Amino acid sequence: MTHFFDLLMNGVSLGCIDALIALGFVVVFKATRVVNFAYGSLLLLGAYVVGRYHDRLGFAGAVLLALGVTAAVAVLIGVVLLRRVRLADPGTLAILTLGVDIVLATELTRRIGTDLLTTGDPWGAGVIALGGVHLPQTRAVAALVAVTLVVGFLAVLRFTDWGIALRACAERPSTATLMGIRLSRVAAGTWILAGSLAAVAGLFFTAFPSPGISGTVGQAALGAAVPAAVLGGLDSTTGALVGGLAVGLTATFAAGYQEQLAFLGRGLGGVAAYVVMLLVLLVRPSGLFGKREATRV
Amino acid sequence: MAPTSVTRAAPAQRPAGGDDERPMLRVKDLHVSYAGALRALHGVCLDVSDGVVAVLGANGAGKSTLLRAISGTLRFAGGSVDSGSVEFDGLRLDRMDPSAVVRAGVVQVPEGRQVFGELTVEENLRAGGLATAPRARRAAREQLYEMFPLLRERAGQPAGLLSGGEQQLLAIARALMAAPRMLLLDEPSLGLAPLMVERIAEVIVAIRRGGTAVVLVEQNATMALEVADTAYVLEVGRVALHGPAAQLAATDQVRDRYLGMGQPTPSPVRSPTPTPPQSTSDRRPDLVVDGLSVRFGGVAALSELSFTVAPGSVHALIGPNGAGKSTCLNVLTGVYRAASGSARYGEADLTRLRPHQIARLGVGRTFQNLALSASATVAQNLLLGRHRLTRAGFLAAGLRTPATRREQAEQARRVAEIAELVDLTDALHTPVAALSYGVRKRVELGRALCAEPSVLLLDEPVAGMTVEETARLAGTLARIRTELGISMVVVEHDMTFVMGLADEVTVLDFGRRIAGGTPAHVQSDPDVIRAYLGSTGRSAP
Repeated sequence: MTHFFDLLMNGVSLGCIDALIALGFVVVFKATRVVNFAYGSLLLLGAYVVGRYHDRLGFAGAVLLALGVTAAVAVLIGVVLLRRVRLADPGTLAILTLGVDIVLATELTRRIGTDLLTTGDPWGAGVIALGGVHLPQTRAVAALVAVTLVVGFLAVLRFTDWGIALRACAERPSTATLMGIRLSRVAAGTWILAGSLAAVAGLFFTAFPSPGISGTVGQAALGAAVPAAVLGGLDSTTGALVGGLAVGLTATFAAGYQEQLAFLGRGLGGVAAYVVMLLVLLVRPSGLFGKREATRV
Repeated sequence: MAPTSVTRAAPAQRPAGGDDERPMLRVKDLHVSYAGALRALHGVCLDVSDGVVAVLGANGAGKSTLLRAISGTLRFAGGSVDSGSVEFDGLRLDRMDPSAVVRAGVVQVPEGRQVFGELTVEENLRAGGLATAPRARRAAREQLYEMFPLLRERAGQPAGLLSGGEQQLLAIARALMAAPRMLLLDEPSLGLAPLMVERIAEVIVAIRRGGTAVVLVEQNATMALEVADTAYVLEVGRVALHGPAAQLAATDQVRDRYLGMGQPTPSPVRSPTPTPPQSTSDRRPDLVVDGLSVRFGGVAALSELSFTVAPGSVHALIGPNGAGKSTCLNVLTGVYRAASGSARYGEADLTRLRPHQIARLGVGRTFQNLALSASATVAQNLLLGRHRLTRAGFLAAGLRTPATRREQAEQARRVAEIAELVDLTDALHTPVAALSYGVRKRVELGRALCAEPSVLLLDEPVAGMTVEETARLAGTLARIRTELGISMVVVEHDMTFVMGLADEVTVLDFGRRIAGGTPAHVQSDPDVIRAYLGSTGRSAP
């Protein structure tokens, strides 16, 4: 039974990280209708900056730098893409982000080379033991940070002018401009937010017990973000949170019970999230919280 | 001929009250095209100093295009200003971003209300005030709650739950949050019940009294000319007439084409005894709706509705917005499920069938929001309507067997016949996207007819049409009825149209039948006047 609770705790904390990743993915889609496939590389970029500079700047300094760099790169992608091809259809934009992702990931992989980069976080390999249940300290911190950020984000969305503007743009962009809302500014804001979230998520995604920072991190992160966002509903922030938790839990449990599930073959943890996603989509084609394509007849 | 005081197509001239000061808004020789090809405006000139300026015109005349050019939202619709200018207080609006236009003091209420349905009423108002200083917003909101007490009551509710009329009021209030100096209203009365149209007219007058200039684009010319000081009539992208509203209302041209006065009923449709279907030997069954109830969650959208549609007759459903008229059509076509009751058509109970089974029985419908494929031509859209009558399968069509080719020729012939019936022969090979709204409505009708229905359900067939277009459609429907012997159930707000066409009328309010009978009987029923027609009984154009 402790094995179960171990997995549950680890699953929830991993789910928190996945939720952060999915949130950054969803918020951009919500405001701009762009499926941002470059998100994985942004996350890798954040992790890379922390890994490369924590010796020189200290951990806190490196994290701040990573936040700044990813936000800047994200807004560059967003603004360059959006400004240039604003009226292109979402499919074209998604493919563009795919291209950006490849360029960014290749360059970062080259820079990492054979180096063994770690995040250098102060929690190291510490483990919290609570009545027989073990949880890495980094995961506990990750869960705490994720919950704080998410609550903060939801409050911003609900109560601030920017939040109202974002929701207005998400629902009816052309009407929002008639209110004097500047679409490009709102979009830039979401890209900055997504970039910062990517840095935070990248940090925890690559910290202990993960093997460290390598070129494949981006793909792995995207592999968690996409099913989380899709099963929650691509345009729903609540959906991103629930989807993230579901993906984290699924992956952890599938890996934890892989011996019992051996008849399904090895490496089930990697695909389990997608199986869950497909099952959800069969029942609810727009995801759990996604806006249904309802047309009044 | 028009009286001399009305200027006929004299662009350079000022409309009325000709003082020498520069007007607040001046549109000068404006040329606009869509996708670089489709010319929508050809040199429109318009001056607005203060008060209410109405812009009238048929569908496709360029009214909405004009508003888009002023508010800077043309590019969202794929349009651009080719030449000419829009000046507001010395600022060139045509070169500005929509959000900058708002900051300059010109705010547009878009056609079709476009409230943010997922935001609460209060958040909608807040969104409207985002371009102003936070301090000004609170005061503006309180003022608007005074003006629209209903919005205060429902401040915390998602705007999507408001009825059509309430949403229109919210859309106007939302625009007023930006404290505009000039308000652009795009068809505020579209799809609203007569009583609500009156309320909108009052609101416009109140806004004018508050010192905000209003540019009012309207299909309901009666209402528009009543509240306007000056008016412009657009015809195919040009200003055909302009002058003081009262004088314009007196011209023959405006009376005939936009006010529908001086004419008899727009159509000589209703014969005392409905002509029985001639083409079919077997008598078609009645459509009997009996005790029909529909619930959405806890809300009763329809309760215990009963009526009978005799073969070859026209039955109208009228009532305020949200009364359950469209819901009724949706149940009859199997889109919504009934909680209880039945709708029998011959042997079958429509409430127990799925949409495609209902269509196979010969029940066709048109949609309020047109359901056409925009990139396909009219002929292709009509052909799609014949899908249920097409027998050739996937393989046979692919192999182009002789039988398939024969069938195709047969289908094409029938499509051409129906196109002629609904006056679309000239447009057959035009993509739907290039047609104006009024023509698209006829395509929608033609598509429904292509399925060879014996009962046709029409959802607001003339909404957004001018008097002239409405009269033409009424004539078409009359012809369809006599030539094809189709019975019809019509949902419509245009009372002139309904009264001219229907044999029987059922009036709904809050999902219940409050009156029924012949058009004349219903029109004088005090309950109907109170709930729907309003004191003056001002109907749509």
